[in-house]
Amino acid sequence: MTDADVEVFLALVERHRGYMYNLAFRMTGSEQDAKDVVQDSLLNAFVHFERFEGRADLRTWLNRILINCALDHLRRLRRRPDVRSPLQIAEVADTAASPSPDPERLVVGAHWRRDVEQAMGSMSPLERVTFALRHFEGRSIAEIAQAVGIGHNAAKQHIFRAVRKLRGALEARWSAP
Amino acid sequence: MSHLSDDDLVLHYYREDGPAMVTAERHLGSCAQCARAYDVLNRTLNAVAIPELVEAPDDTPALRQLLRAQLRGEGVAAARRLPMPDGEMSAIAVAWLVALLYPLSLPALFSSASWAREQGAAAALAVLTLLWACAGPPVAVAVLHRIADGFDRTTTRLRAVGALMAAISPPLFLLVSRLGPGLWPWYGALTLGTLVALCPWSKTARSPGRVLSLHRVTALVLGLFVLAHIVNQAIAFVSVSSYAAMRGAMRLASQNPVSYAVIIAAVAIQMATGAATGMKRVRAGAIARNLQAVTGWYLAVFLLAHVFSAVLFSAPPGGTRVAAPLTPLNLLANVQGAAQLPYYLLGVASFLFHVGVYARLAAFVYLAEASVRRLSYAAALAAAMTVVTIGLSLCGVHLLR
Repeated sequence: MTDADVEVFLALVERHRGYMYNLAFRMTGSEQDAKDVVQDSLLNAFVHFERFEGRADLRTWLNRILINCALDHLRRLRRRPDVRSPLQIAEVADTAASPSPDPERLVVGAHWRRDVEQAMGSMSPLERVTFALRHFEGRSIAEIAQAVGIGHNAAKQHIFRAVRKLRGALEARWSAP
Repeated sequence: MSHLSDDDLVLHYYREDGPAMVTAERHLGSCAQCARAYDVLNRTLNAVAIPELVEAPDDTPALRQLLRAQLRGEGVAAARRLPMPDGEMSAIAVAWLVALLYPLSLPALFSSASWAREQGAAAALAVLTLLWACAGPPVAVAVLHRIADGFDRTTTRLRAVGALMAAISPPLFLLVSRLGPGLWPWYGALTLGTLVALCPWSKTARSPGRVLSLHRVTALVLGLFVLAHIVNQAIAFVSVSSYAAMRGAMRLASQNPVSYAVIIAAVAIQMATGAATGMKRVRAGAIARNLQAVTGWYLAVFLLAHVFSAVLFSAPPGGTRVAAPLTPLNLLANVQGAAQLPYYLLGVASFLFHVGVYARLAAFVYLAEASVRRLSYAAALAAAMTVVTIGLSLCGVHLLR
């Protein structure tokens, strides 16, 4: 491959990058992680571009690579929790401290977001990715199973476990006075 | 109708309960307890807001630089990431070389083992030659790691068949060496494999679910039989007399016409259904799936050589119908025995890993990912220890005589 191929590849993937970035952001929960995942995915796609051969839709193919890269990235973060970007928690802290008209509501909202973030953080990479694809992206369980490369039942069980973790962290708030 | 479970409620929330959706809806209308539980779930999941769309950062210049750097240091960077053959041609060459050179590893193994008996320091050399003789299946998994999708290209077919021939070298060599003296039958088999790779293949369709179900059901029957053999062989490490007693009982059972017919039928179905799915399950990057395919190929040829050998090579009338027993129980005593050491060791390892990979995938349905990972490590360690124990017993090492 030559430098001209790099330009062709960049032109081909350009219109998918926004979508990929948002999907990565929903799966990882951090803008910095999303940026890393998209870069890894595009690098992977470039290296293996000869395998694409136009048999599948380019976005579907890129999606598959992106999901695998997000899973790898989340697994790496899990092995080395010290490298996790503190961006989300910082955002929540800023919101709680901001001098807006309704500080009480903002603090409650900030607590809520922190609980959601913590519950999402306690999920395994597969639970987080399958949940994000189901809940945020609205993909069916069958589509998720195919995209992640696991069985239909396994995908379902990962989503159940993710929801259980969310319920454990959040439902106490509904029953609190 | 009984109450809806938490999982039923989640499926209903996501409208994934299919035909049960109407029944669940009706139940929620009539059962206050389930309606309350659903309401709490609804509020919880509705409150987990979808993150707003964010604008992607414009990092095209950085990405361009990254891709160009990749282009310049392509081979080096790829080799650093994965210690596996990268280029198509080198992968093909490695796979076929392993198969071509396999017969040479057997006299080397026998000579190094004989030398090790005289000089203890040569034991490392014996281990190295044993690793060489057993290299086929691991090399096959490594070669398949970067295989292209589909088998349209000749190079992809050469890569796949090369991996197959490397993986099945030990049992195939034992099978074809019965056809005639020397190495000609072996090189004939490799030539046949090359011809198969050079011919275009028909498009592979998805394996039907029924084939896989049949494969799993017969695996249960055969698994018990193989497991008994593995336990017996592991017992030989402790005591030869216990091994002989159990072997005698097992031979009586397996020579019974009914159980013999069941075993033969189970092996035949396993091989046929495995062959129907084996190559289709190979996929680049999927180490577990490729490992299962490679160990499946090995088991197919191993069972063909082990169980059908008497049938295929016309056993004398009234003679034993099952594989001959290992006597003496020291495969390193002669060159012919040495050829059987990698054959048996890889047979045991293939069975344990073939079943283990399936069990790991099935466990994902019932257990959390971290638990499955921990269990997988423990199972892999137990499998490795079993293989080493059996290896020692096959080399004539026994705790009690």
